[in-house]
Amino acid sequence: MADQERRIKDAQMRATINQKLVETGERERLKEVLRTKLIECGWRDQLKAHCKDVVKQKGLEHITVDELVAEITPKGRALVPDSVKKELLQRIRHFLAQQSNI
Amino acid sequence: MGTRAGGSSCPHVVALKESRGLDTFRIILSNFVYCRSPRARRLKAQSCICHDCGTTADRLHCCLDCVYFGCYGNQHIQEHAKSHRHHLALDLSYGVLLCGTCGDYVYDEDVNKVLHEEKYRATQGTHANGTVAWQPSSNELNLLQHNPKRRKITHNSTIGLRGLINLGNTCFMNCIVQALMHTPFLRDFFLSDKHECLMIQSQNHCLVCEMSRLFQEFYSGCRSPHVPFKLLHLVWTHARHLAGYEQQDAHEFFIAALDVLHRHCKGDTDHTNHHNPHHCNCIIDQVFTGGLQSDVTCQACLGVSTTVDPFWDISLDLGTHLVQADSQDILTAGFLTAGASAITNGISYTSTSLTDCLKRFTRPEHLGSSAKIKCSHCHSYQESTKQLTMKKLPVVACFHLKRFEHSTKFRRKISTFVSFPVELDLTPFMAHRRNGLDTFSISPGEMCPTPASNENRYSLFAVVNHRGSIDSGHYTCFIRQHRDQWFRCEDDIITKATVADVVNSEGYLLFYHKQLVEYE
Repeated sequence: MADQERRIKDAQMRATINQKLVETGERERLKEVLRTKLIECGWRDQLKAHCKDVVKQKGLEHITVDELVAEITPKGRALVPDSVKKELLQRIRHFLAQQSNI
Repeated sequence: MGTRAGGSSCPHVVALKESRGLDTFRIILSNFVYCRSPRARRLKAQSCICHDCGTTADRLHCCLDCVYFGCYGNQHIQEHAKSHRHHLALDLSYGVLLCGTCGDYVYDEDVNKVLHEEKYRATQGTHANGTVAWQPSSNELNLLQHNPKRRKITHNSTIGLRGLINLGNTCFMNCIVQALMHTPFLRDFFLSDKHECLMIQSQNHCLVCEMSRLFQEFYSGCRSPHVPFKLLHLVWTHARHLAGYEQQDAHEFFIAALDVLHRHCKGDTDHTNHHNPHHCNCIIDQVFTGGLQSDVTCQACLGVSTTVDPFWDISLDLGTHLVQADSQDILTAGFLTAGASAITNGISYTSTSLTDCLKRFTRPEHLGSSAKIKCSHCHSYQESTKQLTMKKLPVVACFHLKRFEHSTKFRRKISTFVSFPVELDLTPFMAHRRNGLDTFSISPGEMCPTPASNENRYSLFAVVNHRGSIDSGHYTCFIRQHRDQWFRCEDDIITKATVADVVNSEGYLLFYHKQLVEYE
């Protein structure tokens, strides 16, 4: 019972945080920061090259976005540098700490 | 983006464009994807939930035919498309179109154009506008087609390395030019042709234009040494104290060159604006200007008066003990006292480090009784302490080690070894107290300046060396290419060097650049 209560509370909290992030525009800013960092560290180029390989291999006519996403996701996740993850986490923490009414 | 129909748009998108156009698409984009106003953001925050399962994640999409939001992860948007025969939906994270009937995302040039326009409009006036991808204009496309020659920069290419002929004791100039040519931010500025000359009447005299030409010379791929006679002539006309074939100080030349460049960026020799370097936004100031904070603390009332002054370089003392005795004196002193400790003491003094010099530079200094200052708090003349710290770090930090000593008694060169790191963190020398206050005063709506751990880190990219005595000698320099390749430049001769060669050399001017640069 307590477990389920916690799950509901967690979900509510998640929804509130998400709403705050969107409302303040912080979500867009974080996305932009992430985008920039990933471009800077070469992640985007690496992944783009990988996408091209997959498309070439399977043929443009025989692949959907979904299939491509499924194919590259493991590599994409693995290639994100720890420093980028850490910085983003730090920024999210910093943002949450500033929000007094959550 | 993958398309089923081999590059052409899906029939449903074609039908949409013909019947209703892309207005609905644009309105949804500007309200729910690239919000233009705080109101739109609030609406987005409240209404972006899946109408079937209530999730806010799982790739939400918005139907283009009716008011319906559905998630992709649980198939709700796909089911909606099938059951209502509403083919098209818009992805709310990226704004791309999904055709539920064809079963894939659609690439369409018109749709893409609207997407870019809305994205651009939303990012205008915010921090993000520096990151909009470059789209070549028709003019640029034309230029690219007419100039098919391309140069590929690989990790071992030598483009950018070029010797400079010595025009008669001009090594002081050559080594600074090498350092400037390998300053990443200047290189990017000049190679992207950003300089617009404002010296309309005398374009031939503009030193910035000459720099621009020099960058073209250096990065042309030509391997024969360049003859910088035009530059020398400009230096002679604009900085008269450096004219003539005598030996000059490289540091003096560096400061004079920055000063002339800075003046010419503004397009005139008019000195009225010149007194206000704080508000200059020329490339020289963007790259080299930092802010030095001086805190004078009154010893009577402990009141602090703070001033911030701009700087282009930092001149560092190598330590006062060296002024009193050179190595010869220390040795004889050691013999006289017959104490081994004196010798070891003396020897330990003879080498120092950049960090030590910076510590000495930023430590509180007691201004003696002969230098009493009127305190702005208690309005009396009191003894005080003064401390210098870095208020604003420059993008490129230049450290000048004061190896040449000119005093009333003697003039000489201090050849002490000063160790310096390849990577430098300037955090300990920052004005912390004031920074703390500033962080608090930032309103929550602005970008949070989260102190990333590597924010104040620098990398070494050029070192100017001097060998010889105070009266005659020779300047050479080390410069860095790519990430970690070093080269030694001695006028027209360039040789490969190792990092060890660089850090063991007798540095005179040290150039560091910031590792992380914020977008403006």
